[in-house]
Amino acid sequence: MSSAEPSFQVIGRSQPRLDGPEKLRGSARYVADLHPAGLLHARLVLSPHAHARVRRIDTSGAVRAPGVVAVLTAADLEPTGLLAEGEVFYAGHPVAVVVAESEALAEDAAELVEVAYEPLPAVLDPEEAMRPGAPLVRELPEEHASQAMAAHGAAAGGARDEPRPRNASDVVRFRRGDVEAGFAQADAVIEATYRAAAVHQGHIETHGVVAEAAPDGSLTIWTSTQGSFDTRQGTAGTLGLEEHRIRVVPMTVGGAFGGKFLLLEPLAAAVARRLGRPVRLVLDRVQDFLVSRPSPAAVIHLKMGARRDGSLTALQARLVFDSGAEPGSPVGIAALLLGGTYRVANLDIAGYEVLTHKSPAGAYRGPGAPQAYFALESHMDRLARRLELDPLDFRLRNAVREGDPRPDGRPWPRLGLVECLERLRDHPLWKERPAGPDEGWGMAVGGWPGGLEPAAAGCRLDPDGTLTVQVGAVDITGSATSLAMIAAEVFGLAPDRVRVVNRDTDSSPFGGSAGGSKTVYTVGPAVQRAAEDARRQVLELAAERLEAAPEDLELRDGRVSVRGVPSRSVTLAELARLSTRFGSRYAPIHGHGRVAQRSSSPGFAVHLARVRVDRETGEVRVTGFLAVQDVGRAINPAEVAGQIRGGVAQGIGRTLLEQLVWDDAGQLLDANLADYRLPTGDDVPRIEAELVEVPAPDGPFGAKGVGEPPAIPVAAALANAVEAAVGVRLNEIPFRPEALLEAMKRAG
Amino acid sequence: MKPPRFAYAAPESLEEALELLKEHGSEAKVLAGGQSLMPMLNLRLLKPAILVDINRLPGRDRIDEAEGMLRVGLLVRHRQAERSPLVRQSLPLLAEAVRQIGHPQIRNRGTLCGSVAHADPAAELPAVLAALGGQVVLRSAGGRRVLPADQFFLGFLTTALEPEEVVEELRLPVAPPRTGAAFLEFSRRAGDFALVGVAAQLAFDAAGRIAAAGLALTGVGGTPFKAASAEALLRGQAPSARLFAEAAERVREEVDPEADIHASAEYRRHLAQVLTRRALEAAWRRAGLEAA
Ligand SMILES: Cc1cc2nc3c(=O)[nH]c(=O)nc-3n(C[C@H](O)[C@H](O)[C@H](O)COP(=O)(O)OP(=O)(O)OC[C@H]3O[C@@H](n4cnc5c(N)ncnc54)[C@H](O)[C@@H]3O)c2cc1C
Repeated sequence: MSSAEPSFQVIGRSQPRLDGPEKLRGSARYVADLHPAGLLHARLVLSPHAHARVRRIDTSGAVRAPGVVAVLTAADLEPTGLLAEGEVFYAGHPVAVVVAESEALAEDAAELVEVAYEPLPAVLDPEEAMRPGAPLVRELPEEHASQAMAAHGAAAGGARDEPRPRNASDVVRFRRGDVEAGFAQADAVIEATYRAAAVHQGHIETHGVVAEAAPDGSLTIWTSTQGSFDTRQGTAGTLGLEEHRIRVVPMTVGGAFGGKFLLLEPLAAAVARRLGRPVRLVLDRVQDFLVSRPSPAAVIHLKMGARRDGSLTALQARLVFDSGAEPGSPVGIAALLLGGTYRVANLDIAGYEVLTHKSPAGAYRGPGAPQAYFALESHMDRLARRLELDPLDFRLRNAVREGDPRPDGRPWPRLGLVECLERLRDHPLWKERPAGPDEGWGMAVGGWPGGLEPAAAGCRLDPDGTLTVQVGAVDITGSATSLAMIAAEVFGLAPDRVRVVNRDTDSSPFGGSAGGSKTVYTVGPAVQRAAEDARRQVLELAAERLEAAPEDLELRDGRVSVRGVPSRSVTLAELARLSTRFGSRYAPIHGHGRVAQRSSSPGFAVHLARVRVDRETGEVRVTGFLAVQDVGRAINPAEVAGQIRGGVAQGIGRTLLEQLVWDDAGQLLDANLADYRLPTGDDVPRIEAELVEVPAPDGPFGAKGVGEPPAIPVAAALANAVEAAVGVRLNEIPFRPEALLEAMKRAG
Repeated sequence: MKPPRFAYAAPESLEEALELLKEHGSEAKVLAGGQSLMPMLNLRLLKPAILVDINRLPGRDRIDEAEGMLRVGLLVRHRQAERSPLVRQSLPLLAEAVRQIGHPQIRNRGTLCGSVAHADPAAELPAVLAALGGQVVLRSAGGRRVLPADQFFLGFLTTALEPEEVVEELRLPVAPPRTGAAFLEFSRRAGDFALVGVAAQLAFDAAGRIAAAGLALTGVGGTPFKAASAEALLRGQAPSARLFAEAAERVREEVDPEADIHASAEYRRHLAQVLTRRALEAAWRRAGLEAA
């Protein structure tokens, strides 16, 4: 755990999340808790086919059903394109929306909508889809920047003018040196193919939105989202409205993990505008699985060479990401990280994003990175084993440092990969690695480049002596508590004397989406500046009241006093009241801060896991876990450790349990939480979090993003641990007990 | 995720409930703990015209013992059986099986009779009933009948229960002295319906030989699989690791599971063997006769 620096009063001292009590008591308000007067309920009618032509939609039966207000198809809505038009591209593609006086009535009526489909051949396997002559999944749009990926800072660069194979919607290519020459210099060359299944973000709250149109057509949208301004912009763009005509109210988010970006909002808004009444569209679990944007499946073919002295000579990779029915997969980041974690003079990486007739892919905690590091870190362990090198020293020897080029040629900014490896090397658990029968330890690295987005913040002093900090970034992780702590540190206040609010896009300063591990990193400095600005105003006002020079004043415990003369003092509350009453001569205290960070703060983590394998059933259980992570500065160590534990738990889920399964016809077979296995408490061991603090030059108090990295190295750490336990390895996540049994049998 | 429209009745007596079932026949569904029925309604897999909620029937939550049989009443919840000293003492197999049903929230509401009536092929209790040769007491307005387990479970979610009947009681023979039992199961995630489960009970004679063996499996067919030939193989024999391995091999040969998204048929078959052997060994160990 990090030690609080004595000069700080708040930063670095663990404190409970400010949003904890309302969530534990059930008083937090989510989208589904909203019941504006006149509310209507919408229910989607989804395509049962992975690919089909829509011949006819007969809504007559549904329209006559009790309580139904409207049954709308693409043709009924402005603009078109909000629902499938003429053709459906995945099972779950919305084709109609039924609007009724209650949710149950809408569901009843949705069953009565009759759609005549003409099934078309479905293309489901991305590698098949890439073959010349494969059926075309759909006409490819020319430009297609993914909002979610952009929000994660996914712009990975790389040559994109490569020829596109069939159905590939994006190609990324990174080249450096000469890989063939590199392999020729190697003492060991290993080649393997790794596969990662598609997984759902597993947010317990499903997607939901309530939209209401004013008589003039302007809109209010209450939504469970990671980005209110992003939602406003996306909805405005889709509906052809100016941004200011849309007010987005971000509601408490019951889990997002990359999955809660613009999805249902334009549709709900269009329906609300058309019907003139507020409309609620909250997906049920099954529909959430079918309609939302999962983390894509990936196939990574990797070839690496190293010398006996432990230096890497070449890395060659081919990545295929299954993007589903729309572009927007993170293949670019995956390629960047795959080639950017270790120093290697020769590399050639080709990444392909391929369309198939499945739910369109989206972002999930470190988009692309868990897939990439599963391959890379499995491979690093293999090379170490082959060359009889210590796996940690081998990584340390090759780890990138500040200034080393990334595959896109840009230099890495300061990063703490080496420091994390060194911390693990010196940790007693690494030194001892105690293991019982059929147990083994594995380590793995993972990293995240870190996102950027400008942000502004306001800081207001209220008459009760508390601060109201206004931001435009949504809190999905507890970030508001960290932001409160930043303002509290500046003011010398207790964090619970600070409220962080993000009311709506009308009244909040701009903030980027919560994604890419960038909220504290980018919004934090804006809050810090706003608080400093407010503090300066406080001292100026106090100087005037106390007839002293501002330099002679000190602010502590909610009171400004003349240094050395404690009797000459005034409280924050008094100053606020002075400046907010009728006829006052003083301007209210209101600080501003705004920043556009230019350098990102990569976050690296090193995991050490112990597993126990049941040799007769092939079951893998995680029996120990240490997560070492560079967090820059732990503003709230308890929260940072919580982020790490949650990330590791999700990593364990996608490695051992979770998988979206489509059948040969493109039907999603486990669209529920009984068949789709999210990990529970029994599946996750105690996770020890070890915080390394390599300060980010531009981070608030040195802090950097911590949300994504802990989900990233887990799969490879477990794969490596399995090999240590039973001598065989799995190249596919999630691990299937059957596959492990077969591998053990083959190995004899 | 809302259920289709249905009428609802909450009778205050069993007689009243049975009258309602007689009146509505297959249009009616009994609502017990709701842990299987409500999900099916919400997923709209069922559309009954009326739900007959039996949760208010008085005095129907008793577990007692009579004439060598443990009797589990209509409204006994899983949690109650799990915590019952009587169950633990006179039928450890049942206690261990019930503990593995779902999660505490589910066990707080779900009923044993409901689980048996529902007859999910992955459920623990039907296998316990099959292993022990238990009985199901069925009751309708017209009277009562008692069926042995093998005549009650007919197929996937299919039983001999008539629309106007309820499962009124389960009867399970109390474990004789010198008995060991084990309920073992394998699931990918704790608390899930198991891929395969094994209920095993071994009773030993004074000489330490196996006097009676009860063995049944979940997850390898539409109904609990009663491993009759493995039971016969065990009966009269002196226990040994070799014998148990042989019985397990027999089970492996005889089960005929199907594949689904969670496991192949071959893997289930393999699990049936591994778990059978482990369950028999555990039962032997628990009987405390190993040294003999
Ligand atoms: C998350 C989850 C996990 C679960 N895991 C398991 C598990 O691991 N193992 C397991 O065995 N079960 C599991 N269950 C199901 C649970 O055990 C149910 O309690 C049980 O299957 C049904 O009992 P119930 O009282 O809830 O019946 P209900 O859900 O009320 O009814 C189920 C069916 O039986 C009928 N029925 C109920 N009682 C009677 C009666 N007395 N007479 C006639 N018909 C009746 C109903 O009409 C209905 O058709 C799980 C459930 C959930 C939600």
